Amino acid sequence: MPETAQRELTFAQAIREALAEEMWRDPRVCIFGEDVAEAGTPFKVLSGLVEEFGAERVLDTPISEQGFTGMGVGAAMTGLRPVVDIMFGDFLTLTMDQLVNQAAKVHYMSGGTWKVPMVLRTTLGATRRSAAQHSQSLHAWLCHVPGLKVAMPSTPYDAKGLLKTAIRDDNPVIFFEDKMMYKQKGRVPAEDYTIPFGVADVKREGEDITLVATSSMVDVALGAAKLLEGIGVSAEVIDPRTMWPLDEKTLVESAKKTSRAIVIDEGYGRYGVTGEVASVIAEGAFFNLEAPVKRMGAMHVPIPFSPPLEDVTVPTEQTVFEAARKLCGKA
Amino acid sequence: MAISVVMPALEMAQENGKLLAWRKKEGESVTKGEPLLEVETDKAVVEVEAPGDGILAGITAQVGAVIPVGETIAWLVAPGEQPPAKAATAAPGARATSAAASAAAAPTAAKTSAEPVAIQISPKARRLAKELGVDIGQIRGTGPDGTITSDDVQAAASAKASGGATAAPAAAEPLSQLARLMAERTTQSWTTVPHFFLQQSVDASALQTYQKKLSVGSAPGTSPTITDVLIALIARSLEKHPKLNASWTGDGIRLNADINISVAMAVKDGVVSAVIPNANRTPLATLSTLRRELTQRARSGRLRPADITGGTFTLSNLGMYKIDAFTAIITPPQCAILAVGAIADAVVPVDGNIGVRPMLTMTLSSDHRVVDGARAAEFLGELAVAIREPEKWLK
Repeated sequence: MPETAQRELTFAQAIREALAEEMWRDPRVCIFGEDVAEAGTPFKVLSGLVEEFGAERVLDTPISEQGFTGMGVGAAMTGLRPVVDIMFGDFLTLTMDQLVNQAAKVHYMSGGTWKVPMVLRTTLGATRRSAAQHSQSLHAWLCHVPGLKVAMPSTPYDAKGLLKTAIRDDNPVIFFEDKMMYKQKGRVPAEDYTIPFGVADVKREGEDITLVATSSMVDVALGAAKLLEGIGVSAEVIDPRTMWPLDEKTLVESAKKTSRAIVIDEGYGRYGVTGEVASVIAEGAFFNLEAPVKRMGAMHVPIPFSPPLEDVTVPTEQTVFEAARKLCGKA
Repeated sequence: MAISVVMPALEMAQENGKLLAWRKKEGESVTKGEPLLEVETDKAVVEVEAPGDGILAGITAQVGAVIPVGETIAWLVAPGEQPPAKAATAAPGARATSAAASAAAAPTAAKTSAEPVAIQISPKARRLAKELGVDIGQIRGTGPDGTITSDDVQAAASAKASGGATAAPAAAEPLSQLARLMAERTTQSWTTVPHFFLQQSVDASALQTYQKKLSVGSAPGTSPTITDVLIALIARSLEKHPKLNASWTGDGIRLNADINISVAMAVKDGVVSAVIPNANRTPLATLSTLRRELTQRARSGRLRPADITGGTFTLSNLGMYKIDAFTAIITPPQCAILAVGAIADAVVPVDGNIGVRPMLTMTLSSDHRVVDGARAAEFLGELAVAIREPEKWLK
């Protein structure tokens, strides 16, 4: 990995840089979505791109998620490499037929004749006081569908590298960004680099317990790991980075080493990503486990608008710390 | 209508009983009051009588099983009747014979904790135990909720490998119900009851003379023993000292209306206390006969629930072991126990001269929450007087 730059960017800047670099590199790359041009999205992630590449390549669409997602699928099938922007992950529900029945199936059903090299960028994450229809983390819905790839970066560095990989992938990729993380800073090399899909990243090495965390929960897990250090528990934090393809080997090996695991994800705990990952670990590391694999996700409720209520619906450093401590018998 | 047969309890605190034997077979007809099963409870082996008439059916408890009290283990049905499908819960008012058994309608909350728990061990520890040849039944888990972890297995394996005395705890003999209970109860009493001890030696000449007189003309082993006479004397002395026949209730003192003397008896696995009810009003001959019966039943492990409940004061006599004197541990909720040593000749002052007299040393253990030194001394002093003139007290 190139290590030349000690430069720091925000998560949003890293996304924008990846897009700009890919748009310079490949004239087929274009952006569709609501408020992506002049407004640069409500999160200001795309600010400046319309000026740089013009309104033909950074295209504001009507408020019609199903319509412009379908447009993205068609454009991808016919030669472009569109990056579709769905402002809030909650609106994915409107795009489901285009993603699940069209984008995910076309390559298979056409016997490999057609492909859909489309990226759909969207957001997840609560605690932004955005209420029940703008705070969900629905990535599990898409992880469930064969034919779609799902990436979930947790740092600016990963965001740039994974987004470039997504754009260059010939399959539809759903790219989830935590909307609370856009202002977070991190080291991002100025040069071109990609991060392969299906390769987990060990964010912190440890011996006593594995904390598998995704996207917004990686920082939570790292914070919990720091707290655990205070009571003599060494936690390993692993970020799968892509939920599909999933780096099962790294997860299982870590759990085998530490004998205990907690899976933390901001999607709903019930029937969610955590259940899948926990199952992979339980199957792969069963005879090396000291304790049941624990899942921690969002509470099974509509995300409340009330800040004190909203804050208790998602895992926090403290709740992860408590769960880990209990699992390690340090209560 | 089917009658449920439940695992009886002797006390509220009892959690399980071990089924030792069915005295009747499935399908056999049973009449109310007949011995139906044998149970090893917390304190002893007891026979449980049939709670009604009927045909024994729907047995769910196997011999050797440890069963939470209050759980239905079989049914007595009418000819042709099927036992109820779900035999798990005792019907309200399940007709169990002894008073103790009816107390067995234990809350189900207690039941879960009482059920014999399977060994909880992590998958990693289980695999490791297999690889290292460690018997997981001998490991005490230190993980959450007592789960055996791989560290525990490693520790057991290295203890085994070092082969030294450190491995000894792993080979500890499993306790019988009785032995386990004795350990628990004595620990509980000794660590929570504020014991204090008073000791007094008394000239036992008159006691011996009186006991010998009673045996004249009786077949050996039929007349009252020294223990029997002591029981009678203690019971009569207690009439005047109700504080010594009282119970600590947790927030107060209960003076017990009846004087029921528990007599400590050594049995195979420990000690049991059989109860002579209303010992102050029972003629000595009757008391003696009852005490002999109880001793026999205790030795053969056939004490019934009623034989061991309701005691208000305990006598423990180690005279037959030639013990001079000893202190005993109180059996809560009783507040006192009298420990009696052997009657042995001793040089003592007699009317200003040196004399030899058969002396008996008594040690009274009392619960200081219930009695104080002065009251306990008054009782012990009065008992000593009674021992010096038993005939007068027992006529």
